[in-house]
Amino acid sequence: MPLKILSVDDSRTIRLIVGRALRAYDCVLCEAANGEEGLAAAAREKPDLILLDVTMPVMDGVTMLTKLKEDPELKTIPVIMLTAESGRDNVIHIARLGVRDYLVKPFKEEQLIEKISRNVTLQKKEAAPATAAAPLA
Amino acid sequence: MQDGASYQELSRRYGFAPKPVSASRLTQLVSRQDSDLDELAKVIDKDPSLRKRLLRVANPDAENEAEYAIETVEDALMRNGMGCVLVLAMSTPLAQALVKSFQTMLSLKLEDIDPFEAEPLDGEHLLGTISFSGKVVGRVHLRMNLASARAVAAGILGISAGELTDTTEIKDAAGELLNIMTGNFKSNLCDAGLDCRLQTPEMKLSTDFHTPSVPGGGLEHLAFRAGKIQLFVDVTANPWSD
Repeated sequence: MPLKILSVDDSRTIRLIVGRALRAYDCVLCEAANGEEGLAAAAREKPDLILLDVTMPVMDGVTMLTKLKEDPELKTIPVIMLTAESGRDNVIHIARLGVRDYLVKPFKEEQLIEKISRNVTLQKKEAAPATAAAPLA
Repeated sequence: MQDGASYQELSRRYGFAPKPVSASRLTQLVSRQDSDLDELAKVIDKDPSLRKRLLRVANPDAENEAEYAIETVEDALMRNGMGCVLVLAMSTPLAQALVKSFQTMLSLKLEDIDPFEAEPLDGEHLLGTISFSGKVVGRVHLRMNLASARAVAAGILGISAGELTDTTEIKDAAGELLNIMTGNFKSNLCDAGLDCRLQTPEMKLSTDFHTPSVPGGGLEHLAFRAGKIQLFVDVTANPWSD
């Protein structure tokens, strides 16, 4: 069964970049545009990993993380923060909530894959089967 | 491993890049309302780029250095106050984040240029605004002509400019660039004790080129170029709004 990864970010651009980075891997990407949608998607999809932004409308990433960690069914899902904010107090607070890793924007796709691979086993998609060679005459 | 780790330990664990020391030092000095002007002047005088930028901020109506009415760092600090120094300190991590974003996301080398030397914007352009409030209030504006905005969005999304038919995608990509810049400078402000919250970016097409300064605050204009792409960034802030 392919891995399921949930990307929670209000920027469609970031969700597209995440999708592009994961294109070569055997996984399903689910998306949410804010913390409220992210919590609903986490409960529904039970992802293997969550990528979470901080500043978002409706519900921010820190509130979503707090609620996720309070939920017995969701609290063990590893979360990687994906945000431009790396202020001291924010980082310490988020670490205490139980985040697994932290990637500061801007990031390279290889950095994202490396962080994800530290937490779940990403497998490359199998190459499409080659067309059967024509029999030799 | 969660988690009573210090920030230094977490920075190592997460692989954070080191933060610009001079900007942090300047922000810390400005965040103390009783900061000594001489101390600030010494920090600024040691950095020719900072000195040049302070004088540019202190002479907002001058079109070149020959027209400057305020010519020394001390005069600029006396006449314009700490607000304009804070803007300089904030702009440094912001500009660095923008340059790094171009390098990382578009593989382009973005150069900081004198706004006087930039080709001025003309007509309708993309304007992005992020406001922040808390112990410091202000706004960051990002402006690009439509060709630059299209090229930036296409580069970030890894597609050709011709494939971009929807202005929503262009606005979203430029908005994320603005988000990344302001997120980095917010971290610098918070680390100096100037806690603030960012609003989500507002992106729109505009023909208005005027950037009003926040009351009692400083305003700095920055410009950047990478090939045919030009970006204009305006930063305005007041550190003692409360």
